[in-house]
Amino acid sequence: MHDHYRLTCEEVFARLDDFLDRELSEEETRRVEEHLAACAACASEHRFETGVLDGVRAKLTRIAVPTSLRAAILRQIAGGTA
Amino acid sequence: MHLLAAAATHSAWLPAAWLAPCMLGAIAVSRPEPGAGGAAEIGALLPPLLDSAYGTALHLTRNATDAEDLVQEAALLACRGFGTFQPGTNFKAWFFRILTNCFYSTYRKKKRGGTQLELDDTPELYLYCQTAAIGLHGQTEDPARLLMERLDAEQIGAAVDALPEEYRVVATLYFLQDFSYQEIAEVLDVPVGTVRSRLHRGRRMLQKALWVIAEERGIIRDLTAADPPPEA
Ligand SMILES: [Zn+2]
Repeated sequence: MHDHYRLTCEEVFARLDDFLDRELSEEETRRVEEHLAACAACASEHRFETGVLDGVRAKLTRIAVPTSLRAAILRQIAGGTA
Repeated sequence: MHLLAAAATHSAWLPAAWLAPCMLGAIAVSRPEPGAGGAAEIGALLPPLLDSAYGTALHLTRNATDAEDLVQEAALLACRGFGTFQPGTNFKAWFFRILTNCFYSTYRKKKRGGTQLELDDTPELYLYCQTAAIGLHGQTEDPARLLMERLDAEQIGAAVDALPEEYRVVATLYFLQDFSYQEIAEVLDVPVGTVRSRLHRGRRMLQKALWVIAEERGIIRDLTAADPPPEA
């Protein structure tokens, strides 16, 4: 837990995007988390970036497909490929 | 081939560029038996994706009429090509690949809509620095949330729509579909590294677009006026 190589702020920053997207390996994820738990500056940047991404994700248009189009597609499916 | 030929004569919708070699090969080799089984299965798989397909199409085409046409074309192609879908694999990624291919082959040529912003040189942590500069970090523990709460869905949608196409496509798949890098790479048939760099760069551009829109709509002015930073 404590005797391995620790990431610097710069190294954490370089991994921040991948970390936000959960695209890091387990080991790398754990190292970034460890740094964020101990470094207020990086934690503040991380919280900010998360807030922006969450805000976009939550509000980005979730418009229902127009009813007429949905009905047309369902008819198409029911009619098969003929 | 005759399936495709028949499809092409049915109407003018079949985009020639869509006929990627892999799809063409698969259609030619494993044409499904026409029957209730295939229709029933796509009948279960496709309808749940239509709302998010339409939302995606809106951001790709930036036009409601084109978005409807795009979803309809993609659904038609999915029905006709359903025999090339391998059961047990990712239907959503398969369908969105058809949808984005349709977009690339037809609608992108129209090049309309979207605000043109100068986003190319957006530095990292753009919003973080901008919000810090106006004193927002001193007002709240969570300046990002404070800003994002003031932006409505239309404004956030406009910021995504302001992204150049290659970034807009990746960002839309990422934000609206929650696809992983790998899935986006499969949908777009590009290397994962390309997805990663476009997504990261696109997000920086998106931050600048959000900021520009927040400034234009008076949101920044309101934020700074409503709660001036405490001064001695
Ligand atoms: Zn740090």
